[in-house]
Amino acid sequence: MIALLFLLFGLFIMFFGALGLLRFPDVYTRLHATAKCDTGGAISILLALALAADFSLTGKLKFLVIALMIAMINPMVSHAIARAAYKSGIKPKAVVDMYAWDNP
Amino acid sequence: MAEENLLVILPYAVAFLVFTATLVSYRVIFGPTLADKAVALNTATTKAVVIIAMLSLLYNAPYLLDVSIVLLMVNAVGGLIIAKYLEVRA
Repeated sequence: MIALLFLLFGLFIMFFGALGLLRFPDVYTRLHATAKCDTGGAISILLALALAADFSLTGKLKFLVIALMIAMINPMVSHAIARAAYKSGIKPKAVVDMYAWDNP
Repeated sequence: MAEENLLVILPYAVAFLVFTATLVSYRVIFGPTLADKAVALNTATTKAVVIIAMLSLLYNAPYLLDVSIVLLMVNAVGGLIIAKYLEVRA
């Protein structure tokens, strides 16, 4: 029952992440939507699968290893893409640009 | 045996994630800049990792989890290389 709840929560979160990727106006806002929603949704779904699976102990541990690696890799890649997009000359359309205060 | 209601709903969950990845692939093809394409590709690869993990539970095949781990590592290296290319080209 708790696994089913985790699965539905993760599916909704991943759908809203894709919706934000389609509808937001800027690279940085799209990165915000996908990095947060996709990481949380994937970790929730993998926790649900690890609770519900009937594998051996190493098989259940592999789900948790994938969840930990997503939690480490996905924000790292998002940060690298945001830094590269800023250095390649894409200005954010947001009102407050705090990164330009420190790096004129 | 896994929980029955979760096994009933799992094929629909796979179909829903494939539909979401199809929505994201619009941004991969028609993204205005290269950074948009990189973001969308990262999202689609994460969805593929979760889909492969779901299929391993659905087919009762634990060896598919190794495929998922390798795809995650390829996602990390590819994203970092695309970011480096964006940064150097400017």
